[in-house]
Amino acid sequence: MVDRRAPETVMRLSRLGSLHQCRLSFMRQLTRRMAAETWQFTRPVFDIDANGVGHAVYTATAGDHSYSLVAFAHDLPDHMRSDRVIAEAWDATFALFDGIPTKADIARLSQNVPKQEAGRVSDNELSLSRANRSVRLWAHVVENLAKGRQPDPAQIEAVGYLMRTTAVYGSGKFGAADREKIADRAEMQAPFQAEMLSVFLTRWFVRDLVEHMAQIQGGVRSTTLDPALASRLGIGNSTGLGMAPFIVNHPVLFNNWIIAREEAIARVRSLPKAKPEEIAQFVSVLTRANRSIDRWQSEHPVQIAKLKDLNQDRAALADFLATNDLTGPSPWDALVTWAEGTLSEEGQELVASLILEPYPDLVDGLGSCMADSNGDAFVIDGAMSIGQMRDLLMASFGWASDLDWVAPEHCARAWYVSEEKLEPRLGERFDEPIADYEQPLAPARDAALALDALKDWNADTLIAEFLATHPQHRHTIRRAQISQIAPYGEIRDNTISADVMPIDMLRAKLSFFGATHFDPRSDRWVRICMYSGAPYPQDLTPENADLWVYPEGTA
Amino acid sequence: MSFSLNEVDAMAKRATRGVGYAWGLAEEAGKATRWLCAHSLDGVSVLAATLEDDPDPSSCPLIAGTALSDKAADLTDAPLTLIDLSQPMLLLAFAGSAARQLGHPVTLTCNSVVAVTDGSGLALSGTFPIQAKTVDIRLGGQMDTPLQTATRVTPDQNAWATLERFAHRTYAPATEESRRLGAGAGLSDND
Repeated sequence: MVDRRAPETVMRLSRLGSLHQCRLSFMRQLTRRMAAETWQFTRPVFDIDANGVGHAVYTATAGDHSYSLVAFAHDLPDHMRSDRVIAEAWDATFALFDGIPTKADIARLSQNVPKQEAGRVSDNELSLSRANRSVRLWAHVVENLAKGRQPDPAQIEAVGYLMRTTAVYGSGKFGAADREKIADRAEMQAPFQAEMLSVFLTRWFVRDLVEHMAQIQGGVRSTTLDPALASRLGIGNSTGLGMAPFIVNHPVLFNNWIIAREEAIARVRSLPKAKPEEIAQFVSVLTRANRSIDRWQSEHPVQIAKLKDLNQDRAALADFLATNDLTGPSPWDALVTWAEGTLSEEGQELVASLILEPYPDLVDGLGSCMADSNGDAFVIDGAMSIGQMRDLLMASFGWASDLDWVAPEHCARAWYVSEEKLEPRLGERFDEPIADYEQPLAPARDAALALDALKDWNADTLIAEFLATHPQHRHTIRRAQISQIAPYGEIRDNTISADVMPIDMLRAKLSFFGATHFDPRSDRWVRICMYSGAPYPQDLTPENADLWVYPEGTA
Repeated sequence: MSFSLNEVDAMAKRATRGVGYAWGLAEEAGKATRWLCAHSLDGVSVLAATLEDDPDPSSCPLIAGTALSDKAADLTDAPLTLIDLSQPMLLLAFAGSAARQLGHPVTLTCNSVVAVTDGSGLALSGTFPIQAKTVDIRLGGQMDTPLQTATRVTPDQNAWATLERFAHRTYAPATEESRRLGAGAGLSDND
């Protein structure tokens, strides 16, 4: 058996910032399930006026439960369009309703959902979200459809979506139902399934809305979107810093995502032989993945450099496969080992994700291990010895223990929450008055501080004694104990250094959603695409429910 | 107004941090408040009163509670008596944590109040005082009629406002520099 890759290898920020989607990603888990269980999809309401203002309801029914996207369309002046948390109006706003909403529910939601954070939803709602148009592509598509023409495929490819969500809140936020309400339902057991469903239905709504606006503008001359073009359109997402605290604040959950993928990689690497059809599947998916990379555009210098590396990696991989046809012993392990010595981290992680594709039977079952149902991990075991605690801290953060944490380059940044709509932000500790508001999002520094405080204590003393007089280290002691059950729960890098790139943390999370085409807008902001290439709900079949993320050839 | 347990947890944690407790204790306050509310008790009011009273560490239920949970194993040797404690109801959540760790119910007695918890359920008779002369905590007990559990919380408005006020102290004042640079979205979204 090949071992899982070590946490000290996997949990570096540069590698987390190079992760790619795979079979386990949450969008693909959802689309596979919806197709396998033949979910039913309906649009009971579409009440949008000539100005594009109104509401619509899209319902997905999965056996015992229905879930309805309640969508509100707005007429947003350009000067109000912002993807930031501090925005106060959007082109469209949404709630995912648990069941089928009555008129009274919709009336209630219409008073609250358009206000987003400033409104309240109830435990009948599972998520709250909003989206803004891609102004350029929206205008282009409406204008052309109105004239009875199809939009330019090159423009569709360049942007990738008509609307991008700018937040999808779930799990009890702003009054919505707690995760516990749905965690025991099979279809909601995997992480973020409600949020992923909401976005999947949003994509359908956006297509309907753009065709509606074209019809209003063009009347009988107008046409509808060519299904092939519509299929290429995903839903964008514009993500700021909120996701970075999330992965630090949920070490068990984040561990479960990473360890599931690492276990899948280790299982495939351990195979002694690959069957011809498995090799063919890998080669086919690789070809299709390359098409997706061809469409991946970014103007950010860091991502431009990474894409350049990735394109060199593709060439190197093609050369490797020209002389290694994967028919030898332990072919996947040989491929991954070669990649580790040759490719950039972008390329290594692409290969690691792609080798999982031929093996649904080995991989897909791990999808059900990715939720966090271990509430007891929070409880500190005070009977642990200080010696054992030191060992745990050193295992995750030994590298951090002799760093000079007072040196400005090592603690230049501080994470904080602004009083402006509670937007998460990252600031310069030595230039801005923020240190007093710092959030506990520097586990490496805090571990080093705890190790220092523990150094004169007897190894046999219980950690409860230390905690009684050192409450300032309590959160660090808790994390260290959690690391026993969550070996991939800690980022092995400095999250407050002068050169930290928060987009690495955002990408790690988004890759597990199944996002593609990461396009950083700065070191702390990224746009992505979701569901590009996916079938629309009514076209979903077991045949097209999984590999849609890899574009098929046009020839 | 009805809140989710997640919102209660988050607000309690921020408020506790806001009055100056360490992050690790603030996390405990969040979970304890949530636990009380999930057992249909007014965790929001008891935490708000605790934070407003700002008790000495020696009579603080958060500090006594975490110590109780951290030293849960000691209960197998001998019962524990705490003296001069503020807002003793908050201890229930930590007694629950001790019971879960030990795999046995824990009984907490305070004046005429008797509470028994196995960590997931809670049986309670009587009303907790604001201030307790003594609280006795021992292993064992029988949960006869557990309190109903709750998935939503409708807190006392004043108590919630108190938590909001303290939580606000954890938010950095908005400055132009922070607004411009802090979230890092410098480009236009009108493209």
